Amino acid sequence: MRGVSTGIEQGMKLLHVVGARPNFPKLAPLSRQARAVGVDQVVVHTGQHYDDAMSASFFRDLGLRPPEINLDVGSATHAVQTARVMERFEPVLLQHRPDWTVVYGDVNSTLAATLVASKLGFRVAHVEAGVRSGDRSMPEEINRIVTDRLADLLLTPSRTADATLRAEGEPDDEIMFVGNVMVDALLYAVQRARTIGFRAKLGLSTAPITVTLHRPANVDDPRRLAAIVSALREVAKQRPVVFPVHPRTRGQLQMGQFDVGAVRLIDPVSYLEMVDLVEGSHAVITDSGGLQVESTALGIPCITVRDTTEWPETIECGANRLMPDPVGIPDAIASIRRLDDPPRPEGWDGMAAVRALDCLRTH
Amino acid sequence: MHLLHVVGARPNLPKLAPVYRAAARRTELTQTVVHTGQHYDDALFSSLLTDLALPEPDINLGVGSASHAIQTARILERLEPIVTREHPDWVVIYGDVNSTAAAAVVAAKLGIRSAHVEAGLRSGDRTMPEEINRIVADRLASLLLTPSRDADETLRAEGEPEHEIVFVGNVMIDSLLEALPRARAVSHSRGHVLVTLHRPSNVDDPSRLAALMAGLRDVAAERPVVFPVHPRTRDRLDQWHIDCGAVQTVAPVGYLAMVALVDASHAVVTDSGGVQEETTALGVPCFTVRDTTERPITVIAGTNRLVHDPKTLPGLVRAAARPPALPTIEGWDGSAGERVVDALMAGALP
Repeated sequence: MRGVSTGIEQGMKLLHVVGARPNFPKLAPLSRQARAVGVDQVVVHTGQHYDDAMSASFFRDLGLRPPEINLDVGSATHAVQTARVMERFEPVLLQHRPDWTVVYGDVNSTLAATLVASKLGFRVAHVEAGVRSGDRSMPEEINRIVTDRLADLLLTPSRTADATLRAEGEPDDEIMFVGNVMVDALLYAVQRARTIGFRAKLGLSTAPITVTLHRPANVDDPRRLAAIVSALREVAKQRPVVFPVHPRTRGQLQMGQFDVGAVRLIDPVSYLEMVDLVEGSHAVITDSGGLQVESTALGIPCITVRDTTEWPETIECGANRLMPDPVGIPDAIASIRRLDDPPRPEGWDGMAAVRALDCLRTH
Repeated sequence: MHLLHVVGARPNLPKLAPVYRAAARRTELTQTVVHTGQHYDDALFSSLLTDLALPEPDINLGVGSASHAIQTARILERLEPIVTREHPDWVVIYGDVNSTAAAAVVAAKLGIRSAHVEAGLRSGDRTMPEEINRIVADRLASLLLTPSRDADETLRAEGEPEHEIVFVGNVMIDSLLEALPRARAVSHSRGHVLVTLHRPSNVDDPSRLAALMAGLRDVAAERPVVFPVHPRTRDRLDQWHIDCGAVQTVAPVGYLAMVALVDASHAVVTDSGGVQEETTALGVPCFTVRDTTERPITVIAGTNRLVHDPKTLPGLVRAAARPPALPTIEGWDGSAGERVVDALMAGALP
């Protein structure tokens, strides 16, 4: 049931649900915008990911306040984690009774909160709706497709996403193109990132290659990981390679006795440190969705070590390239050139959250 | 090939039974039945198993009743290790209960294919929790086994790929036709009006329940009205001091007794999806006290009618008459279970 729009935001209450680190740069712009116009809001952090890097400074980097509610579900199998979020989120939702439950991206908490809210008849808005890799063996893809089917407002980052949702039979009035909120967060942070001098601290002589890998398909299969590491070793003969590595992946690398050669493994970095590192890089090698977007927005060439992407616009504008076979990476890096101007696909203008909040207020 | 069936509530059992029997006849198939225990009572569940010639489930998760979120959560947690251990070729899910949606999520996340029996049904009303369960199950299942051609159309409009949609017909009609001779051997009074009500929108709202019972009291002034009533609804009737008049409220009945009651009735007043179909198959006039139905074929066939205002029930029941001939509906032929198993086997991974 939809109320008639009054255009008055007083009284509107948002309940944001985030669960993992990649959700926060998506939450931040919308939360800041809601605060700026005086919309009542509560942030629920389910605690899917919990690490020390997600401290007060992490939130401050993004212009976020620490979440009001922590569900502390911790890590577990997909089913158990989803289950814990559902159990613990239901009473929170019933207590706060928001006008909108706002969910982000494609983590287990996105799906779990959406299921709970739909069953109780609360409206759900999905930020980053309509994004698909086409690969259902990715748990994120399952989270995306269920969330989009149940959500009442589908806030999309691209026209491609709109078309995907239409093809899935979603009604036109639920689909709202707002643009890419991750680019909002990036543009908000980039000036400050330049002031922290993170690259200088690393003592890099030339623009490095920045690497991030976290997908199970890449890091949980020893043969696959060995092939990628071997390619990175070759790249490190050309240029410095900096690889901020998750403790779990570091464990896997050390357990498997991989020879990383001159590849420099460093501890996980903060959001601002990452922005500074990427902006000063010659190129990026990643399997992260967010980094494909961020490198593209900064005009830094990206090589994505996967056979699919949920961000086709990064490929269409020439900044990103899929390279499922790591053997080709050293040659690709040798011939790569920095883009003259950062590409600006439609909706990558820093105003996505403003449009998203308008949709929430008027829908 | 190994099938892992997941059922959770009584309405799932008449859907499971024909598939289970058809699969048992194929020597190349093994099967495991997991009962999540959403409905755990008991005697009634056991009598349903007996009536439907089903064995005791191999595994009972004992989740019990709870809020939708908690029940779904418990099923997710307890089913995941079982699906991981059994690693079936198919997780077969039924209908629209919480177990249906939860099992679809578990299987999808583990990369194991699920097949949804009774796919593509929609009431169009998302305030019904069953509608949410259907939507989630259909979105995630790799094989959508539909009871009717309109269900095929619904799934196509939702963008489901053609090769996942397989029309098999109505498995509940398999169970009905199988049970009918045995049910008719049980003697029953004829010409009564049978009532079944269980949806929250009808039984959890005092004024709505009172209005329904007022209509039924007037019906009962003219002919016998039999209402097998869930203990929870019985409590509500007492607690809210709702007068049942001459309506005979009786304890819930087993599957065969229910088929016998439907078959011998003058008309049925219900909010159940299954009963709308059973009355259609038997040519019994049915009055569905809801605003929507996920089984439009029963309305098109002419035996079922949606009734919004319970005040109209006495007149409608008085005028009710059986059709001169039983409606013939595609796929309501008693062989849907066989076609389900055919589709599962045709979908075997190389």
